[in-house]
Amino acid sequence: MTVVDTPPPLPVRDKATAVERAWGGVSPMLTRLAAERATGVLVREGGALHLEEGLVTYAESPLSLGLDALLTAHGTVRAEVWSEALSRADEHRGAARFLLAGGHLTEGALQVCHLGALYDAAYFALAPSSTPGRFRYGVAHRLGPVLPVPVAALERETLRRRDLLHRVWPDPRPDHTPLVRTHTAAAPRPTARQQRLLDRLDGTRTAADLARELGRQAFHTLVDVRRLAAAGLLAPRPEPVPAPGPATSAAAPAAPHPSSAPHPASAPDAEPRRPPAAGAPPPALADPPPPGLTERLAQHTTDPHITLLKRLRDALEAL
Amino acid sequence: MPGIDECLLEAMRLPGARGAALVDWTSGLALGTVGESPGGDHETTAAEAAELARLAAEHGAFAAGDDPGGERPPVEDLIVSNRDSYHLLRFVDTSFDSSVFLHLWLTRAEGNLALARIRLGEMAERLVLG
Repeated sequence: MTVVDTPPPLPVRDKATAVERAWGGVSPMLTRLAAERATGVLVREGGALHLEEGLVTYAESPLSLGLDALLTAHGTVRAEVWSEALSRADEHRGAARFLLAGGHLTEGALQVCHLGALYDAAYFALAPSSTPGRFRYGVAHRLGPVLPVPVAALERETLRRRDLLHRVWPDPRPDHTPLVRTHTAAAPRPTARQQRLLDRLDGTRTAADLARELGRQAFHTLVDVRRLAAAGLLAPRPEPVPAPGPATSAAAPAAPHPSSAPHPASAPDAEPRRPPAAGAPPPALADPPPPGLTERLAQHTTDPHITLLKRLRDALEAL
Repeated sequence: MPGIDECLLEAMRLPGARGAALVDWTSGLALGTVGESPGGDHETTAAEAAELARLAAEHGAFAAGDDPGGERPPVEDLIVSNRDSYHLLRFVDTSFDSSVFLHLWLTRAEGNLALARIRLGEMAERLVLG
């Protein structure tokens, strides 16, 4: 009674994520740069972190609003004032100095907005990535130091934010897929802030688009989006029934967002009726896997042991 | 024109002040902390205070009636008292999008809640308006 069947291969996790998880930090490279008190810019897949003497002075990400966008979106600072301050900035005096000196906003307001934007962008910049980061020495950001943040504090906060989102609603798909409005009986009444977000859902806008249009921090928008998803008031747009040929329309909206890359469970693969790739075993038509499970891989196996192991792995990773 | 730290240090000069923090109530992040915190850990205190602030800010029952669009913080401040201390949370109204409040922890024996409430309100305004 020798079992000769080769079990289906176990899913391979994104290597970068696995290494980082085992190490217990977010980016070993960043930790090293902090230790050597480096100045420059760390460019990662999801964004960039600017360091000065090993402290983070600025962060940017295509998925979040920069300090300039946050300050100009609601008229706190006019766009001309911002660009003028940037153009006058040099090595010794950053743009922040000119904004404060011109009386355009108080130091407190600048610090609050700056820290908000910094942690917001860092959340996306430090997201698990599939490519290694690159560091360019010697380029300090033109804003100049406002309130530099230690790397350890930034990493801790980023991990805490991941946990926070996971606790609100464990399915990460609403973070980067276009969203649609859903209706459920006895849903809680959304707040005025959430209502303005719901009003803009049209099946094409993602959370990042909504944050940009509303002039809000992107992570704050993700918290709202996950809360509304948990309440049943919005959902990731369901994929259209696949037509023969390349499904370009389905993949296109998610494409500009680098953070969607490291998630193997992104929406196009989650469609159970999608024709399997050539040579793959027939897809399992069992009940849909719980959120967080790598749906794509679940399609290829019906072995209950494998399913159990994968559930266990996901549960452990979620700890 | 004070920054965050100057604002928190000023709050610590109030009678009975034990600790102060500026906290983002959507994420639970402490943007600045001074003095002690109830559990000895400012980050945990910030996250717990943020949860309380969020509940107060998001439930319509506590909102001011003059701002149905919800552009400004719906609540002005929150007061929690226990047998030995007071907690005072003051929402900061910024012209850009944010969700921050000042959290002041006072000993009950020396703290003057009425004075602290007025002063913290002034500090919250000066922090962002100058």
